[in-house]
Amino acid sequence: MPLNDADLVARVLVDDDHHAFAELVRNHQSAVRGLLRQLTRSDIALADDLAQEAFLRAYKNIRSFRGEAKFSTWLYRIAYNCFREEARKRKELVGIDETKLEAEQDPQTVDLALKHDLMHALQLLPLNERSAILLCCQNGLSHDEAARVLDIPLGTVKTNVLRGREKLKKTLAAWGPN
Amino acid sequence: MDQQLQEDWLDRRLREEMPYIDDAGFTARVVQKLPAPVSRQSWRAVILISVTLLASVVTYLASDGGRFLIVAAYRFASMPLVFISLVAICATLIATAVAASAAVAQARETR
Repeated sequence: MPLNDADLVARVLVDDDHHAFAELVRNHQSAVRGLLRQLTRSDIALADDLAQEAFLRAYKNIRSFRGEAKFSTWLYRIAYNCFREEARKRKELVGIDETKLEAEQDPQTVDLALKHDLMHALQLLPLNERSAILLCCQNGLSHDEAARVLDIPLGTVKTNVLRGREKLKKTLAAWGPN
Repeated sequence: MDQQLQEDWLDRRLREEMPYIDDAGFTARVVQKLPAPVSRQSWRAVILISVTLLASVVTYLASDGGRFLIVAAYRFASMPLVFISLVAICATLIATAVAASAAVAQARETR
């Protein structure tokens, strides 16, 4: 019978069980790597490095996981922090660099063929809206869980999801059901 | 209605656009970088054995070389046979009850 996350975490805590931690990594690697790929705008190598760093941090700090939130939520938060630190290092935090963002959102600078690509449309969103959309709409987190991951107020998450959705709908208007 | 339809469509598309990423050795790479496990088991055994030995030595010295055990054995042997039999039966029952409850608990855990 496959063990759930709580059982696996308990095994890591009690016996320092590497096999149990490997099972946790296996269960969550796709979601974490997928989220980081979206956040890094499809820089696969960077996303995988960040995902690896996130899992190693999770292992080192597993005692701070108290089971109040889901293990995946706790993991997303670590992954998001890894991404933020890296982005700060590279000064690529979208939203800080407003001129770059505006240039990206200018329809004339965007390849029209790619405009219909949902993933590309997502990547045009500012980081705060993109993260909220990815967590809530793509990964199925509740607004409350997303607020914990992003460490921002619940109201801000709701606003970001709403704004992000509106922008996506506008970008993809030609694709949507009319 | 149209707006709701559009939101549902968007959420569905977003979920569909999240493909499963194949592990492709990712887990192995992470596990390889984990710090070596601390063998707490061996420490636990050393502590338990040390404490048991220390307690035995202290008891031996404090009881005048364990004389009280010999005295107790003599006293017990001089008791009536019926009393000794009753003590033996009670001890067997208690041991059986403890073993049975442990077996039931173990069975529940593995179910």
